[in-house]
Amino acid sequence: MLDVTAQDAPLVQMSEIYKHFGGIHAVEGVSVDLYPGEVVGVLGHNGAGKSCLMRILSGAMLPSGGKIYVNGEAADLRSPQDAKHYGIETIYQTLALANHLDAAQNLFLGRELKTRFGNLDEARMHAEAQEALRQLNPNFKNLKDPVAKLSGGQRQVIAIARAIYFQAKVLIMDEPTAALGPSETAMVADLTLRLKNEGIGIFLISHDMHDVFDLCDRVMVMNKGRNVGSFRIEDVNKDDILSLIIKGTLPDGWTPRGASK
Amino acid sequence: MSDNQSSTDMRLRPSGSGLRFLPSGSSLHRLSALLTLLLLIFAFSFTSPAFFTMNNGLTVLLQTSVIGLLAIGMTMVIITGGIDLSVGSVLALSGVVAGLTIKAGVPVLPAMGLGIVAGAFCGFLNGLVITKMRITPFVATLGMMMIARGVALQLTGAAPISRLGDMFGKLGNGSFFRVVEMQANGFPKVIFPGIPYPAVLLIVMALFGAFLLQRRQIGRHIFSVGSNEEAARLSGVNVDRTKIWAYTASGALAGLAGMVLMSRLVTVQPNEGVMYELDAIAASVIGGASLMGGVGSISGSMIGAFIIGVLRNGLNMAGTSAFIQQIIIGVVVIGAVYIDQVRNRN
Ligand SMILES: Nc1ncnc2c1ncn2[C@@H]1O[C@H](COP(=O)(O)OP(=O)(O)OP(=O)(O)O)[C@@H](O)[C@H]1O
Ligand SMILES: [Mg+2]
Repeated sequence: MLDVTAQDAPLVQMSEIYKHFGGIHAVEGVSVDLYPGEVVGVLGHNGAGKSCLMRILSGAMLPSGGKIYVNGEAADLRSPQDAKHYGIETIYQTLALANHLDAAQNLFLGRELKTRFGNLDEARMHAEAQEALRQLNPNFKNLKDPVAKLSGGQRQVIAIARAIYFQAKVLIMDEPTAALGPSETAMVADLTLRLKNEGIGIFLISHDMHDVFDLCDRVMVMNKGRNVGSFRIEDVNKDDILSLIIKGTLPDGWTPRGASK
Repeated sequence: MSDNQSSTDMRLRPSGSGLRFLPSGSSLHRLSALLTLLLLIFAFSFTSPAFFTMNNGLTVLLQTSVIGLLAIGMTMVIITGGIDLSVGSVLALSGVVAGLTIKAGVPVLPAMGLGIVAGAFCGFLNGLVITKMRITPFVATLGMMMIARGVALQLTGAAPISRLGDMFGKLGNGSFFRVVEMQANGFPKVIFPGIPYPAVLLIVMALFGAFLLQRRQIGRHIFSVGSNEEAARLSGVNVDRTKIWAYTASGALAGLAGMVLMSRLVTVQPNEGVMYELDAIAASVIGGASLMGGVGSISGSMIGAFIIGVLRNGLNMAGTSAFIQQIIIGVVVIGAVYIDQVRNRN
């Protein structure tokens, strides 16, 4: 991988990643890569280790073993700040919002805008947050409420807005539409494609097969912590993926299906 | 999904339209605390005529300044979701450090500075133990409470340090705008007792603390850590540094409170400040700080400190015994938190 030209180097390459919690093997030697302008689906049953793998890339969790390369260079992601420096932004499954703070305060948490004197620039943060949130949901009005008072969907919109506001190069979306209604889900799908076309690489964790087939260029299926298959989306159909997710193997006699989706 | 479908539109409607001008949440709590304070002052003015006088007002201000200073730091720590049980002992140790330094021949001001630094260092150690050794704040600061008291008593042999000079008494006993008039009979008459230095110091520190909490990044991070530590970490907040900062500030303010208290006595008492941490916690909690973290304000805690100060002073004047005072303040603390919880449930 190191001898290819920079242009072709994967944006992210995770190689032989392990994560153990005592006796629990959450991630077992998983390798996956991501190129600019593509959406890679990370699929698997509950507890398969998808979130753990992605949290390792977010710098939120230290791997027990394995290497991560960003733009072909080894990257040591020891904290979420490290990952953000590499342009890796994450929408966490848990959303990671501070309940007592409002939307703007959450959006800029850890990266507050400041005035000339180093004070918090609330006015600018509020205006920018309003703009960012309106793009995702034109109805978003209660910007000054603590996020504890907001609905699950509104909270999710804040988490998404935060990830895209800071111009990610790599975007990790861990079940980003779990709490969203259909119109918001469609909005996030549009957004995903727009970001992809801007050349951003996206890891998408989803249990929704429609989303997966509509948005992903490739899929990687995890089963009990292992990577049990990476495919171009044209080469598999829904039954193949379900078989991988549930049994960890492809159906008997499987051959690449080409573009016969 | 289909379940969400119907409710999404309803959920996304703007909330609170129309009733926005009413105070909500924490500001409502502060308002009710302020009303309580005014009611107390009103009631005590009736029970004892000497209560509502300029002199007594200044006395209350003076008495409350020590608890108030402690409560500023305590509030910051409580907002991070922690607690600082060591402030009473750290106050004493800081006084001892300052006293011994003066005895060693250092001028008063730098010696007092060193005392405050000693307090800040104790707080810094609290922060290190809590973040690096992962000991809960309750246990870590309980340990520091014993250690600091032990060091203070050991250094002095449990004896007070006196004869520290006039200068040492300035901070605790001096005042601005004091007006004294010489009378014809040769005796001085105090026309205006002046605004005590400790009261001015309290106001300055409270304003500064509120500024840090509300307008600076560190304040925002303190709230976020107490609100959801994991979210703060994932957002890129340096959680350990934020906590260490809060405990160091609490220690430094305990040191400053120690200077004020010892200066007022013009003596360093190594066994001063016992149980002050409880008054500081009570002030914060009455003022609306939540021990769960993420909620609290300096202004609320100042009102809380004055509620305690006015209660003590007023009950004293009404001749209530110290034991009954304890009981009443205990009931007030529980009542304040209970009312807040009932309100939050609705
Ligand atoms: N902090 C932790 N400590 C201990 N075990 C953990 C921790 N985080 C995850 N695990 C375990 O690791 C395994 C993988 O969890 P992970 O959250 O990655 O699953 P997932 O694929 O994201 O599932 P889901 O689809 O439900 O989100 C699970 O068995 C889980 O119990
Ligand atoms: Mg998950």
